Order: sequence, then structure tokens, then C-alpha cells
Amino acid sequence: MFCGRIQDGDYLYRHTVFPLSFHKETFDKETFDPSRLFHLVDDAVSGAILGSLAWERFVPTPEYIHAYGCRLASKINDKKRAGGELKRKHRHIYCGAYGLKARSVRALVSAEGLGEVASADVTHLVEDGEIAHAELRIGLVTGTVDVEGTKTAILDRLLNASCGPLTHICDDDDDLDEHPSTSLSIGRGGEYVDTRSYLSLLWCIVRFHICSWLWRHGYLRQE
Amino acid sequence: MGNLLTKVRLQPLAVVGGSDVPKLDSPPPKQLKDAAGYTYVSANIAVSGTADISIAPRSENQLLRMTFSSVPIVWQSEINQEYQELGEALEEMTQLDEGDEWKVDVVVYQVACQVAAELLANSFPAPRIFNHGPKSVVFNWSRGNDNLYLTISSDYISALVSSPERIKRRIEFSTKDLLEPALVFRGLLSEQPVVSTSKATSQVSGFVE
Repeated sequence: MFCGRIQDGDYLYRHTVFPLSFHKETFDKETFDPSRLFHLVDDAVSGAILGSLAWERFVPTPEYIHAYGCRLASKINDKKRAGGELKRKHRHIYCGAYGLKARSVRALVSAEGLGEVASADVTHLVEDGEIAHAELRIGLVTGTVDVEGTKTAILDRLLNASCGPLTHICDDDDDLDEHPSTSLSIGRGGEYVDTRSYLSLLWCIVRFHICSWLWRHGYLRQE
Repeated sequence: MGNLLTKVRLQPLAVVGGSDVPKLDSPPPKQLKDAAGYTYVSANIAVSGTADISIAPRSENQLLRMTFSSVPIVWQSEINQEYQELGEALEEMTQLDEGDEWKVDVVVYQVACQVAAELLANSFPAPRIFNHGPKSVVFNWSRGNDNLYLTISSDYISALVSSPERIKRRIEFSTKDLLEPALVFRGLLSEQPVVSTSKATSQVSGFVE
């Protein structure tokens, strides 16, 4: 569908937030750890492995990608603030995003060394008010016992398909002397390169506005 | 900048011959102490060949050094410090609130400490750690573009070696095999399927080539 099906060649973005994707190098120095980029969780109902991404159809330019990331960090901070456990110096900070193609997710099914993966897909699933949110869902062969080891293997393949980073400093964080985004490393899949022509980019933006309007007015349903 | 003289790095030398690889002395038992005062002692296991594994027997120390022969071996005091910090980080992960994505179960922490003690006993560089939720901790090392992961859960430990292009090797074994950790490293070196001692002798233990 025009706004529903994520095509193999579509980019999906994974946002990095400090300190979630960082590890402590020394007492007062934390650096980006690529292994913490994705966070894979179990679906208690289906037993599938789930993850979250943002679909380029609804974040067609870096400005939209970063706006999503800034909202993500802001929501985490708001939640902590509401719980009375947030100090400004300990706030979460959006640092940038890495991109990977949908076909990299779907290729997990036939990936060498991942025979226990029965299905792998990414679908558009609005979540927490974020229209660009996409759900990564990986089904495992019945009887898979070492699910945690499988998660590591999946994570490794996703990391190797990821390119970037697209770094960013949110308005709320421009007071920092040293922004953690400076420690983001080049993705294992290389740097992110936007190969779209001007016309193609223009079309992506127009399509985004059409899809957003359709969503807001209830003309579209989740797949 | 730190004092360069305090960071002496040794490049390991592995001589890979036939079956007559010289035997190294077993390392003395090492202790990993966490912040709560619990001590984990390495098992100091002597590796011996079994009928199930068709490679020459080698000491665990050699296996580790050969598997990661280009990983810099750092000075012992530095390793001790790294593992001290690793133990503290693991313990902190058990103390996080339920629902925190870095929270790990106590039983996972205990198994991870045992594995860490074995690694320390072999003077192996401390890994980076992350988790997938409360049920596991992952130890991670990088070597160029390749990565090695040890995924540690309460029931299973699995090793994975990958390159950017593909998963090169996977081995999983039960935590009941924790008293024979060299098995996993031997499997990483071997071109042959590796059989876990806890499973039926005819069953390949999740090895992926």
C-alpha cells in the first residue's frame, strides 16, 4: 500500500540516546558502544523477538529523523521527571541515528548461521503517538532453546547492516560543553549516504505529507 | 594523557604446529571479587582431548591466546583492574529497578562472574558488556572488523564469531558445562563440529559453520 508496506529498499533508522547506548570507559567518561544500539526484547505472547525503528516514509529528511530522536529523549526525561528521579545533568540526550535497509531485516531468514529464524519483518506500527514507528518482529523456529544467543546473532547482523551516524544536537542540549554525539562511531555498514536526487527527495517529502494527512484523518489502518 | 610507561602492551605469539604443541603450565586460580564481597574462583581446568573432538589437545591458556591472537594482551595489573570494574558493573546491573532495561537476574550475574573469573585466570582482556534484558549478559570483544560474543544466560552460554559479511561460527553449550569452558574456545578453533559433553554424543551442539 502507498503508506503501509515497508519496501525492501526503504531505510529504517535506529536512534541513539545517551546513556542507553553508551558504556562507562572511565569514572567520568562514557563512550558509544555499538552493541547497545539495538534493544531486542521478547514478546511474551508470541515468543517473537521485537525491536523498534523509525520508517523513512514518515521521517523523510534528517530534520524529521532528528525531531523523532529529540522527542524520544524528551519523553524518557519527562517520564523520569514525573517520577521525581531526574537531575538535569543525568538527563537522557539524543545523539543521532543509524540507518539500515528493510531488506537487511528480511534477509535474516536466510542468513548463514541463523537457521533458527523462521520469519523476520519490519512493519509500520504507530506507537506512543509516533507515526514513524516501525516494529521489528522476528519469529523463531519452534523449540529454539537458546533465545538469548539468537538475539546476539540477530543483533550482530543488524549492526553490520547499519550505516551512519547522522549526528545531531537537540535544542534542549546545546548547553553541553561536550555533547556525547561526538563519540558516535561510523556504522559497521559504513557511513550513511543519501543518494536521492533532488526530485526524489521532493517526492519523498510530498508523499510524507500525504501519508501523514491520511493517518491523521483516519483514512489509513495499521497492517 | 596517561603515563605511557604504565601501559606496557605485549603482542602474543602463537606457534601453531601439529599435535606436538608444547604444553603450558596451568595458570594459578584467580579470584574475581564483586562489590558485595562475593568471590568467584576460576576452576583452573586442565584440558584433555576427548574422543568426540578430533583436534589435538591444547591447554586452555593456549587456546585463548590463539583464538584471539591479535587481541592485545595487557599488563596483568591493568587486567585485574578491568575485571574489578567488570565485576562492579555486573553487580550494579543486578541492583537496578525492575523494568530497567539494564537490569539482569541474580542467577545470570552469578554465571557471568564465573565466566569472568575463568577469563581473568587466563589473563584475557576484559570484555565490553551489554544485555538483552534480565535473562542474559553478553561479553563482547572486537578484533578488527570481526567480533566475538559470549552470551551468558542462566541455562546456556553461546559463543559467536562474526565478520561484517557473515556469522563465521556459533557454539552453544549448557551452563552445566561451565566446568569445562575450554570446550567453547576449542570449538571456535576447530573446523570440525564440536560436541557438547552434556548432550548425546551423536548430536552436534549448535555449531554453525
